[in-house]
Amino acid sequence: MNASAPIPRPPKPLLTVTGLTKHFALKGGLFGQSRGVVRAVDDISFEVGEGETLGIVGESGCGKSTTARLLVDLISPDSGDIQLGGKLVGSELPIRELRRQVQMVFQDSYASLNPRLTMEDAISFGPMVNGMARNAAVRLAHDLLARVGLEPRRFAGRYPHELSGGQRQRVNIARALAFSPKVVVLDEAVSALDKSVEAQVLNLLTDLKAELGLTYVFISHDLNVVRYMSDRVMVMYLGQVAEVGPVDAIYGAPAHPYSRALLAAMPSMDPDRRTMEAPLAGDPPNPINPPPGCRFHTRCRFADAVCSMSDPGLYTMGTPGHLAACHLHIPASGHKAAELAA
Amino acid sequence: MSAAALDSLATIEKSPGYWSGVMRRFRRDPVAMLALAIILGLVLMAIFAPWIAPNDPYRGQMLRRLRPMGTPGFPLGTDELGRDMLTRLIYGARLSLLMGVTPVIIAFFIGSAIGIAAGYVGGWLNTVLMRTVDVFFAFPSVLLAIALSGALGAGIFNGLLSLTIVFVPPIARIAESVTTAVRKIEYVEAARASGASSFTIVRVHVLGNVIGPIFVYATGLISVSLILASGLSFLGLGVKPPEPEWGLMLNTLRNAIYVQPWVAALPGAMIFITSISFNLLSDGLRSAMDLKA
Repeated sequence: MNASAPIPRPPKPLLTVTGLTKHFALKGGLFGQSRGVVRAVDDISFEVGEGETLGIVGESGCGKSTTARLLVDLISPDSGDIQLGGKLVGSELPIRELRRQVQMVFQDSYASLNPRLTMEDAISFGPMVNGMARNAAVRLAHDLLARVGLEPRRFAGRYPHELSGGQRQRVNIARALAFSPKVVVLDEAVSALDKSVEAQVLNLLTDLKAELGLTYVFISHDLNVVRYMSDRVMVMYLGQVAEVGPVDAIYGAPAHPYSRALLAAMPSMDPDRRTMEAPLAGDPPNPINPPPGCRFHTRCRFADAVCSMSDPGLYTMGTPGHLAACHLHIPASGHKAAELAA
Repeated sequence: MSAAALDSLATIEKSPGYWSGVMRRFRRDPVAMLALAIILGLVLMAIFAPWIAPNDPYRGQMLRRLRPMGTPGFPLGTDELGRDMLTRLIYGARLSLLMGVTPVIIAFFIGSAIGIAAGYVGGWLNTVLMRTVDVFFAFPSVLLAIALSGALGAGIFNGLLSLTIVFVPPIARIAESVTTAVRKIEYVEAARASGASSFTIVRVHVLGNVIGPIFVYATGLISVSLILASGLSFLGLGVKPPEPEWGLMLNTLRNAIYVQPWVAALPGAMIFITSISFNLLSDGLRSAMDLKA
């Protein structure tokens, strides 16, 4: 278990996550006895540099959304540290301040907005809670509506059911921006939108980032969108980091067999390079009892004896900052192919 | 930008709010409006009883006992002590409505507070509150009302108290289940991520979304309360004679059912009309609040 080993740092890390772990106890029976533990996020470490976009990809249930919720402290971690701007959250930086500086946009644009509040009330709620006077907060809400491309005069007095999905998601972005956050966590924020609307919202996000100097954690299952948005990409599998690195390295030369399988499953735009076979069979194993050793070995084409025995941990690949957790690439790991490579 | 925003404050387009939409739909529902009219009529009748009622509700004459309907001077006949039925039915609205509505109103506040606290906080508080509520909920409501009234003794106040205790558990359970559902929706999570206190989140984001269903459920309970209150009086546990109250009148007139069946059934008819009006009002509110985006 050396997944929490130090990782080479991007130029100026803003958000540093070390050994973050969240297990959910499954309770059952009359007295709520524990029936097992879901290892939703299991000892993950990563960094997000100031002004960059870290994309997080992975299958359903790999811990992407749990990671997002941990980052904004909607759920508290079992163990692990989060540092924001070099300050340890919880001791050097109060949770309240973390919540102000790290904001989140959810997938479901309708459920994210209180059906009884007008758009200006929804956006001004946060600043008012944090001590802003009502008039100033409403004025800020109007400014932000204009900034996300919704004319305040038309939209400030509207209710959520009167807006389209794209418009609602713009309001959700405006609400997150009302705190002047440093980091915005986008948890599948564009996944539920139509393709054309999705493109508009992505462009808005790109503009806002440049304008306001934001840092994004961009979570999605859509590999094309992640590639378009991200500077670096983190591939997660069953609550752990399988591979992390610059977007070109991940998409150009994926090292982990899981990343390769994911990328191979991407529909190709080139008819000569169409996907000929199903790259990955079966569902991910049950996170209640994850397989020992490398968690991917049950579905891996290259699995060897060592893979079911020891957890490989992240290991640096050729490109700086490109790490993968696979015995195949670790010299003298005991993997047959690795021995040959060495 | 902020000058433009200030400018836009003046000319902002306001959408009609949720509650004005509910009122609009409610006003278009003829059945609910009729029920509301009947209830308002009954309330006015109760308030202005001394001015409307033709006779004294307490003074009877043994010579004119159990007259049929249509007797000159006594359009709805007289009861077993020769008192004017019309007058007593009008006065009866006072106590019957009081006994029917008050327990539900008080239980609405207490039950909502318990249920929203249990639902929003969750965890051990939920377990403690809701399992306690379940103990009361385990008894059939009629039995519980009779047992509490019997233990506390007859009287209007004790009747109100026992009916309130009967209605707190069902309201608390509804409040708990809607609050638990609302708490898991993303806008509440987003509000938590804003650093707002639990009290503020409940006030701004939870209350407005749970109060409607709880209110609809509570209005549906008024008819039950009315019938239970009448039942308590019928059993001699609520209002005592000679007070005019529909349930009690039904009780004292039951011996006359073979002599003057129509007169004896009148208090029952009043209970029926009142409770069905409250039920239809509740149904109307329910469909008016069923907002689909």
